[in-house]
Amino acid sequence: MTDDTRTAIQSYPQFLWQALKVAFDGNIWYYAWMTVLTALWLVGVNAFSHQLVHGQGLTAMSDHVSWGMYIGNFTYAVGLAAGAVMMVIPAYLYKDKEMHDVVLVGEILAIAAVVVALCFVNVDVGRLDRLWHIIPGIGRFNWPVSMLTWDVIVLSGYLAINLHVVGYLLYMRFLGRTPDKRWYLPFVFLSIIWAVSIHTVTAFLYSGLGGRPFWNTAILAPRFITSAFVTGPAFIVLALQVIRRVTDFHVGDGAIKTLVSILRVTVPLNLFLVGCEVFTEFYTGGTHVSAATYLYFGLHGKTALVPWIWTAIAMNITAAILFLWAPGKQKLWAIDLACVLTLIGIWVEKGIGLIVPGFVPSTLHEVVEYLPNLLEWKVSVGIWALGLILFTIGLKIAVAVFTGRMHVRAETT
Amino acid sequence: MDATRRAALKGAGALLGATAFARAIAPLQAWPENLSLDELLQQHYKELSKVDMAEILARIELKTLQEYGVRVNVEDPRPIPDVNFGYALNLSICVGCRRCAKACHEENNHDRATNNSYIRVLEMDKGSLDLERGTVNYDHEVPQSDKFYMPVQCHQCDKPPCVKVCPVEATWKEPDGIVVVDYNWCIGCRYCEAACPYHARRFNWLAPEIPPEDINPDQGYLSNQIRPAGVMEKCHFCLHRTRKGLLPACLEACPTGARVFGNLADPNSEIRWVLENKRVFVLKEDLGTQPRFFYFFDE
Amino acid sequence: MRVLTQLPILLTLAGCLGGFADPDREFAEPVLEGTLHPVVIHQPLTLGVADTHRLDVNGTPIGVACDTCHGPTPSLSFAAAEGAPDAFHEAVELRHGDLECDYCHDSEDRTQLHLANGQPLDMGDAMTLCAQCHGVQFRDYDRGSHGGMNGYWDLRQGPRSRNHCVDCHAPHAPAYQPVMPVHPPKDRFLNPEEGH
Repeated sequence: MTDDTRTAIQSYPQFLWQALKVAFDGNIWYYAWMTVLTALWLVGVNAFSHQLVHGQGLTAMSDHVSWGMYIGNFTYAVGLAAGAVMMVIPAYLYKDKEMHDVVLVGEILAIAAVVVALCFVNVDVGRLDRLWHIIPGIGRFNWPVSMLTWDVIVLSGYLAINLHVVGYLLYMRFLGRTPDKRWYLPFVFLSIIWAVSIHTVTAFLYSGLGGRPFWNTAILAPRFITSAFVTGPAFIVLALQVIRRVTDFHVGDGAIKTLVSILRVTVPLNLFLVGCEVFTEFYTGGTHVSAATYLYFGLHGKTALVPWIWTAIAMNITAAILFLWAPGKQKLWAIDLACVLTLIGIWVEKGIGLIVPGFVPSTLHEVVEYLPNLLEWKVSVGIWALGLILFTIGLKIAVAVFTGRMHVRAETT
Repeated sequence: MDATRRAALKGAGALLGATAFARAIAPLQAWPENLSLDELLQQHYKELSKVDMAEILARIELKTLQEYGVRVNVEDPRPIPDVNFGYALNLSICVGCRRCAKACHEENNHDRATNNSYIRVLEMDKGSLDLERGTVNYDHEVPQSDKFYMPVQCHQCDKPPCVKVCPVEATWKEPDGIVVVDYNWCIGCRYCEAACPYHARRFNWLAPEIPPEDINPDQGYLSNQIRPAGVMEKCHFCLHRTRKGLLPACLEACPTGARVFGNLADPNSEIRWVLENKRVFVLKEDLGTQPRFFYFFDE
Repeated sequence: MRVLTQLPILLTLAGCLGGFADPDREFAEPVLEGTLHPVVIHQPLTLGVADTHRLDVNGTPIGVACDTCHGPTPSLSFAAAEGAPDAFHEAVELRHGDLECDYCHDSEDRTQLHLANGQPLDMGDAMTLCAQCHGVQFRDYDRGSHGGMNGYWDLRQGPRSRNHCVDCHAPHAPAYQPVMPVHPPKDRFLNPEEGH
């Protein structure tokens, strides 16, 4: 074992200890932010404890609409995780120097988003005590037939890849060494392909079901990837501005400009794909269009989702206009507004606006509605709060390492 | 702010956080304590030996006795070789009385509050097979002259989408054609419920509540044992009865004889006669699920 | 734990293949072929009895056997009582297509039936008469797709009982009577809708 490796292993506890201190150290705004997030997270934990004891019956789901808020949020979070890696492509494939420094932000977002997605899927499962059944070799793993098993593999792999890349780059910086390309470059390129795969597999979960005509369409996976490449960059554009404001980490304008130019393509593309879906459904007509009719116009007097989807569409269209109007003379506040609008718009369109209409009408054509109840809201907000906690702490550590505040101290032998 | 005050505030914050967390998870104290280690570590149905299964059956019987004060007999009947079940439904004769749904409810120890049943009866317009125009909650005299009645339950498909999607193989197709669920293996992800095109699957959203006097004591491990909360279930052709040669409960309850059940492998069976002599169809045939539940009209 | 020691063997045997770890468990014993158990057709008590639409002290419906008046030794005093024939035959509504009494009943002895060719038939063999005109339904019944059954699908393992035609179809007004169904499902959140 070389000296370098030995020091690397010996200094790791120091890295963890300093990271812990950095996580709990900050100004009054940092404490306020983290306290609010922790409080929200605890509300979610409490609500979930009730659900764990009494059963999923405490949610608003039923045998007719058997997936709802949790799986909707899961879908959205996987998209966010996939899109977060969108920054990696310009940085590494196009060798954009300005992107290099901020690529870590995207990867930290990917880690937090995957954790959020895994939390959502776990709170939806009926028997959390039996989750070991899904571990290959110990339980029974129905791979390759069940798409859910593919999802387990790709999400775990994506988490591992990103944890490795982020961990390696930060730790090398902490040690004051140049990172060895062989230890991170292949993983970075792998993560680009892997990001597309996680969201394609998630789409295949739904699009492979013949009994659910609303989902059983080839356009679902392309829609997922496109909307992922809207939400990821949009979130990072906002996050980069926050970092620029509250830390001394240098964030160049170039990174934000590149992301906005990506959004200028993906936001209208997403709208186009939605348009394709709407045309195919409504021009064809017949019974197969019932779910889309329910979503956009209501079915047999049941209209619970109609205000949601039209608000989402209005938000997405407004965002598209804001992105495309007067590029070059674009004010940052307009970009920020567009990012917020599209983040919410896609949350509705891909979350509740995708999962619930898949179940309405049911396979026997009964119309039973679903809107999440208070317990589901609490658990969902709690999980997103946890995601934000992880994202904040991750960024804080990354910024501390990059500005030199976290640095290895030579051990006195 | 100097270091010691900062440290004190941080300590106070940490204590507050820990207390808040303890309060947040307080509802877990009500967690049912009757989850034994054996139950948590139980293997998949197919990996159990005869001795394992006997122990598990005894454990289930003991648990039922402790919770409900009722002695039940849980068995694990296996398929009879060379038997392949099929079920047919005569739409000319079904009057929509729903007694099959009620018999299923009583036979299978379903939750009383929701009057859960594996069978759902649709009232359809004569001249149309469009499920969009069917009703499930009709509450008037039957049969109405311009309607026909179509009970729907698990079709035990030969190409079951539910079996394809289960991530832990908790559901599979048995040699005699029945698609079964291992209630002690299912993790409750409800992917099968999303995949089924016939609304055949049911989820135990809460722990089922049955008065002890209503419990059916003749139980099967894969069929009507009392299921816990958080697992999937569905029609299993009453395998605790049919694997011993008995008719399923829904068929016995049908007052008009619209239901026909038997062994597809026996050329002299009633079900074979129906398939060979009546014009038989299946629901959603274009999905390629190949159901074993056939519908037919007499004329 | 025994489970852990058996794990490697079980995994090799069963895990990837989806089969049973213990192949002996997979099937039950085959059923031996042999003489089949009987199929018993219920003999209803309503054959040859007119319902007076009154109940006795135990709540059992009171019926009067047709052969009280129409049998070999009719009770004439009973039959000659004021208004008696009309009162009893009120219970016998005839709503069976265009049929009249003589089409099925012997004109002299109403407790005897006859086939279309005049051949006499015992009341206990009434099903043959039903089958004569309703051959399609009788064929369906005989092949198990009409009329229901209780007991065993597998007659090698146990007997079966079947309804008599008359158990569901009163011979003088055979149309199946409408009933109120069992109440609709009470699922979570299912609201009864009008018309759908």
